[in-house]
Amino acid sequence: MLMYAIKRTAMSILTMMALICVTFLMMHAIPGGPFTSDRGLSPAVEAALNEKYHLGDPVLVQLRHYIEDLMRGDLGVSYQYRGKSVNDFITSGFPVSGRLGCAAVVFVLLTSVPLGITAALKNGRWQDMAVMGIATLGVTIPSFVMATMLMYIFSYRLGILPTLGASSWKGYILPMIALGGYSMAFLARLMRSSLLEVMGQDYIRTARSKGISEFRVVTRHALRNALIPVITVLGPTMANLLTGSFVVESIFAMPGIGIHFVSSISNRDYTTIMGMTIFYATFLIAIVFIVDIFYCLIDPRIKYD
Amino acid sequence: MKKRNCLVTAVLLALAMVMAAVSGGAAFAADQHITFALHSIPDSIDPGITSETYSSAILYNLFEGLLTYDAQNNLIPGQAEKWELSDDGLVYTFHLRDGLKWSDGTPITAEDFRYSWLRVITPKTGSLYADQLLPYVVGAQEFFDGKIGEDRVGIKAVDKKTLTVTLKSPTPFFLGLLSTYTFFPVQKATVEANNDKWTLSDKTYISNGPFKVTKINFNESYEFVRNEHYWDAKNVKLDRLTFIYILDTSTALTAFRAREIDGFWEAPASDLPVLRAESDELVTVKAFGTTFHLMNNSAPPFDNPLVRKAFNLAIDRRALIEDVLGTNDSPAYSLVAPGYVVGGVDVTEGRSSYGMAPGALAKEAKAALAEAGYPDGKGFPDIVYYYSTNDTYKKTVEALSAMLEKNLGIKITLKTADWAVFYADVQAGKYQIGQYGWGGDYLHPMTFLPLTVTNGVNNYSNYSNPEYDALVVEIQRTTDQKRAAELIRKAEDTMMKDYPILPLFHRSYSYMMRKGTAGYFRSPLNNLYFRDAYVTD
Repeated sequence: MLMYAIKRTAMSILTMMALICVTFLMMHAIPGGPFTSDRGLSPAVEAALNEKYHLGDPVLVQLRHYIEDLMRGDLGVSYQYRGKSVNDFITSGFPVSGRLGCAAVVFVLLTSVPLGITAALKNGRWQDMAVMGIATLGVTIPSFVMATMLMYIFSYRLGILPTLGASSWKGYILPMIALGGYSMAFLARLMRSSLLEVMGQDYIRTARSKGISEFRVVTRHALRNALIPVITVLGPTMANLLTGSFVVESIFAMPGIGIHFVSSISNRDYTTIMGMTIFYATFLIAIVFIVDIFYCLIDPRIKYD
Repeated sequence: MKKRNCLVTAVLLALAMVMAAVSGGAAFAADQHITFALHSIPDSIDPGITSETYSSAILYNLFEGLLTYDAQNNLIPGQAEKWELSDDGLVYTFHLRDGLKWSDGTPITAEDFRYSWLRVITPKTGSLYADQLLPYVVGAQEFFDGKIGEDRVGIKAVDKKTLTVTLKSPTPFFLGLLSTYTFFPVQKATVEANNDKWTLSDKTYISNGPFKVTKINFNESYEFVRNEHYWDAKNVKLDRLTFIYILDTSTALTAFRAREIDGFWEAPASDLPVLRAESDELVTVKAFGTTFHLMNNSAPPFDNPLVRKAFNLAIDRRALIEDVLGTNDSPAYSLVAPGYVVGGVDVTEGRSSYGMAPGALAKEAKAALAEAGYPDGKGFPDIVYYYSTNDTYKKTVEALSAMLEKNLGIKITLKTADWAVFYADVQAGKYQIGQYGWGGDYLHPMTFLPLTVTNGVNNYSNYSNPEYDALVVEIQRTTDQKRAAELIRKAEDTMMKDYPILPLFHRSYSYMMRKGTAGYFRSPLNNLYFRDAYVTD
C-alpha cells in the first residue's frame, strides 16, 4: 500500500508538471493578450506594460520564471486585477466555493443514494418511475435554467430565500440545489442501475437462500458492491462541486472562485489561468487518490501492492 | 374585468395624489443608504491605472478631480476653486480650494496632483490610460520614454494651492479631460508604502471625494460612508453607499424586484420592452456613445467608397433598434454622438444624413453598388461579418447580414470569436467588416474624431484622408471656439462623405433605480454620481 502511495504521488507530480507546461504554452499560443482591449494602447504604453510584466520575454523563459515562482508557492500576480495575487483569489474565493460545494456534496449524497436504492428496490413500480422522472429532469435541465427557476419561485414569488448568496446560510440553499441537481440525478440513476445489477447476482440469491433478511441482504451484501461505481464517479463529481461553478456563482452573485475559471481565460489573465488550472488539477488528483484508497476499504478483493 | 381594474387604478391614483398634496411631497428617509449593483468586477479601483467603465461608478463617488460635472453636464469647479488660461492657450493655472483634505484628514496640496499625474506617465506604474496625458502635456511623452526628468514635464506645483499645466498645443477639450478619473489625485504616502496593493484594503484606500471606503470585499462588494473631510460634505446627504457585484443582469432584476438592492447598472436587454411599458423605475439616459461597425478601408472591396456607401444605405436602422434590439437608441448616420456643444454651438445639429434614412434605401444602395461595378451584387466577393461572442452582437450582426443580403444581392457569412481574439484580429486588420462602437471619454467631439485619423491608435477601419487629418490637427490647435466648431463640422463632413464606417445608432443607457431615490445622475459619459443623491420615504 505504501509503495502504491509513493508511486501514485510520483505519477501525480509528473502529471502536474506536464499539465503546467502544456497549459502555459497553449494559453500563450491563443491570440490576444492581457491588455488587449477595444480601446487600443499606443505602442509606447503597450511596451511599458509588457516590460512591467515581462511579457516581452520568450515564452520558455517566462515558463521557467513561472515554475521557479511556483516552487516558492507563489502563483504570481493577476494581470487583470491590479495588485491582486492569484493566491489571494484562492484564499478569498475558495472558502465560499468550498462551503457551497460541501453543501452540494451533502445534498447530492443524501438525496441520490436513497433515491437510487428506492428506485432499484421498487423496480418497475411507481416509486421507481417517480425517481427516474426526477433524475431525468435533473440531468436534462441545465444548471442555469434550474437556478433561474429556483430564484424566480423561492426568491421572487414566495420571497422566502434571498436572491444573493454568501451573506447568510439561507443564501446557500438555492445555489446548492442548482449546483448539485445534475450530480444528484446522475448518481441516483447510477446507484439504481448498479444496485439492480448486483441484486441479480448469484451470491445475493445464495444469501437470500440462507434465510438472511432482505434488509441485511441489501445493506451487507448488495450495497457494498453496488457503491463501487458510484464512488468512482463521486471523486471527480466532488472535485467539480468543491471548486466552484461559473454559472451558479454568477447567477447567485456568490464571490467564489468559479468565476475566475472562465473570466481568466477570456481576459488572457495568464497567471490566473495557471493558478486555477493547478488548483483544480491538484484537487482532482487528490480526490481520485482518496477514492482509490476507499476502494480497498469497500472491496477487500482490490489490492494495490 | 378590465374596466374594474381601470376604476381601481384611477381611485388609487387619485388617492395617491391627494396624499401627496396633503403631505407636501415625499419625506426625507431616516436611513440614507443606497445599494447599487454593478455587473463586472473592475480591473482596478486605482484611478491612475484603470481604464474601465465599471471602475468609474466607484471612482467618481470616492474621488474628485480639479473639475467635475453637474447634473446638467456643465463642467463646474471641483477641487479647484478657479483657473485661468494664458492668452496663447497653452498654460492652465489652477487654484485649489482652501482646506482640502484627504479622507484621513491630512491636507491635499497642488503637489499631490503633480505627483498623481506624473505617476500616470511613469512606465513602471503600468497605467492603462497614460494616453490621456501623453499627447497633450509638454514633456510628458519624453518623460515616459525616459529621455527627460520629471522637472522638465509641464506640470508644476507653484505653491501649496497653485498648479500649472503647460500644453504642447492649445487643447480646447483639456478641461473636460481633467474631469476624468485618470486625473484624480492619489495620496503619495499611501501609494508608495503599499504599491499596487493600496486599493485592496479599506485601511489604505484614501480618497478625496464625497465618500470614503469602509469595507472592501473583493469580488463581492464595496461599502462607503460620507467623507466628513470632503470640502462640500455638508451637502452630501447619503450616509452610506454600497456597491455590490451581481454579474448576471437578470439576477439583478430579481434582486431589485425583491427589494434587496436599490438600483443596478444595466437593465437586461431581454426585459427592456416590458420594463419600458410597465416600470416607472427604469431610467434611460442619452449617451455620448455611437455604435458603428467597421469596414476595412484598406482592403477590397471596402477600399471603394461606393461599396461602403451601398452598405450604409442598405441597412434598416429603425428595424434594428426597434425590432431587433428593442432599445431607445436613435439611428446614427455619422460618428460623433449628438449633443456636443463647442463654442456655444451644438456641432451635431443639422448634420447631413449622407443619403441615409431610418429605413433601408434598397434602390439607392443597389445603384451605388452597381456604380462600384457590381450590378445586382454580381461579381461581389463573399463577405465575412466578424463579431466577438455576445448575444446582443450576434442579434445585431445576424439582422444586418440579412438586410445586406436582401437589399444588395450579396452573400455574407458570419464569424465569431472571443473578444480578445476578435480585437487582436481587428487591430491587425484581419477582417472585412466587424462590430465596434465608442463611448466618449470627455465632453468634446475630439473624443470621437481621432477614430478615423490616419494611423490613429483606434483607427481600426484603416481610413486615411490627409484633408481630414489636417482638419483634426487644426481643431486641436485652435483657441477660437467658434472656429473650432466650424472645423469640427467640416472635418466630420469630409470624413463621412467617404462612408468609412457603418454608423448604426447613438446609444442610450437604461438602468434601474428605486422610486424614492433622488439627486443621483448618470452623465452621458456614463459616469454615475451619488454626490447629491438622497432617499425619500
